[in-house]
Amino acid sequence: MSTMIDVKDLVMVYSNGTRAVDNISFNVKKGEFFGFLGPNGAGKSTTIKVLTTLLKKTSGSVHVSGYNLDNDSKEIRKMIGVQSQDTAVDGDLTGRENLMLQGHFQQIPNKILKERVDELLKLVDLENFADKRTRNYSGGMKKRLDLATTLVHRPQLLFLDEPTTGLDPQSRSAIWEYLEKINKEEKTTIFLTTQYMEEADRLCRTLAIIDTGKIVASGSPTELKQQLGVDSIKITLKDCAKDKTTAIKILKSLTGVSNITESGDCLTVFAKNASQLIADIIRALDSLEIRLAGVNFSSPTLDDVYLEKTGKRIRAEELTKKPSATFMGGKR
Amino acid sequence: MTLLSDTRYLFVRYLKKLIRNPILLFFSLVQPIIFLVLFTQLFERFANVPGFPAESYLIFATPGILLQNAFGSALQSGNSIVSDMDTGYLQKMLVTPVSRYAILLGRLTSDAFRVLIQSTIIMVLAFLMGAVPVTGILGMLLMLFTIAFFGLAWSGISLAIGLKTRSSETVFAFGSFLTFPLLFMSTALTPLDFMPDWIQTVSKLNPISYTVDAVRVLMIDGFVWDTILSAYLVIGLVAILTLGSTLYLFRKVVS
Repeated sequence: MSTMIDVKDLVMVYSNGTRAVDNISFNVKKGEFFGFLGPNGAGKSTTIKVLTTLLKKTSGSVHVSGYNLDNDSKEIRKMIGVQSQDTAVDGDLTGRENLMLQGHFQQIPNKILKERVDELLKLVDLENFADKRTRNYSGGMKKRLDLATTLVHRPQLLFLDEPTTGLDPQSRSAIWEYLEKINKEEKTTIFLTTQYMEEADRLCRTLAIIDTGKIVASGSPTELKQQLGVDSIKITLKDCAKDKTTAIKILKSLTGVSNITESGDCLTVFAKNASQLIADIIRALDSLEIRLAGVNFSSPTLDDVYLEKTGKRIRAEELTKKPSATFMGGKR
Repeated sequence: MTLLSDTRYLFVRYLKKLIRNPILLFFSLVQPIIFLVLFTQLFERFANVPGFPAESYLIFATPGILLQNAFGSALQSGNSIVSDMDTGYLQKMLVTPVSRYAILLGRLTSDAFRVLIQSTIIMVLAFLMGAVPVTGILGMLLMLFTIAFFGLAWSGISLAIGLKTRSSETVFAFGSFLTFPLLFMSTALTPLDFMPDWIQTVSKLNPISYTVDAVRVLMIDGFVWDTILSAYLVIGLVAILTLGSTLYLFRKVVS
């Protein structure tokens, strides 16, 4: 497979000094379904803006389908489709008119365009509302139309910035189906950002996690989960308050246990190969006559990976908001 | 050349937006019509003062009211670009190969067209009230063209402010702030000789006076080309200034 997006040492510093993207490198293969994850303000949207020719990068090199971003932005614009975070459809125009206008921007001949607009209206299930003004559309309908407008010129590369944020479960799963369909049938490369790990896990074959402008992890969802490598076992005791301390003491002595934390249910034990350890845990607690109310174990989810990679740090914006905290930190 | 076809598509887009919000168009006409009906009644006896340059105040003030309307409309033009920036529609256009200049040109031409429609309505109303231009239908067409060109030139300043501040409140405030002083200190509603000396000086420097005078000679005196051409010269200069700065700011937003 050849490369669709090739990013090397990309840096983006805004004029106010914010270093939104701090020396990242990654590439996305043709036909890939690529997920770009990270908390708010991590640099996701900035990266998309640079890749879609909206922002001038500070340094680094970017190639999209072999075109250099610095010289061939016109060529790049012809082959990409971009759905930004805010749904941008013209409320005074009908759904069909919105699609037609977008097609005109892409210089598609009228005859072909008309057919394609009909196809797209069918694809996103808006045929019955095609000639109504989009001002009266629901949020989900607008998102679907917005997605359709990005597909009107059959882009080889599709950028989707949180395409399902704020949608109900039905609309969300409908959009997932369209995306899987165009990725599979039209071989469209998709670059997706999302805050929903479930979405990334289901759709994306490759992921990169970005935090404070740097890529902190990348790989397939399965690889990332295996890297984390720790299962969690939630243990609920009949009398948690009384037995907790004794339980922690004995559980710590078991081989394979890497960490124990107190959690809402009572205790959470982190360990490799939890399935083999469960019998040992039950036996150990039973020997001290600590009575169990429940045991629940789970393999790491993408949520765990995400939190592990991004969750424990204090955000830069929080630091700047609380100057006193940094002051005290400095004194210590 | 995609510039022309893209401009046409965007012109049609703005036109549809205009037609589909008829209430907005209606309310934008309320003020000039109030001026035309009430103001001209109020000042009717002005025409009896010796030295008044027209036979009625109505025929004297109609060109001023036409330009007041064009000026006011043009100065709100920046709102549309602010709204396209706010909704993300501008970005949506910018990630396509659409011609960058067409985005501006589509806006400007549709603004000029809007002024043309409004001016026609006001002119017909004034005609029915008795403001009959001596230059006939040809003169009326030239008047309309001049007013539209005037509107186009002044749209630029509003677009520039919209691009710079990204705030429709600022565009609106600037528009209303500029309209009345510039209008009252021009020959729009008062003959030059009737003003105090210092306002006469301001009025002579005021670019609006030149256009008002050109439209007024077409209304009252005939095709006085000296007056008409100097108006075009002044509008041209204003256009170069305002549209130049718009272009400069637009390039900064687009790149």
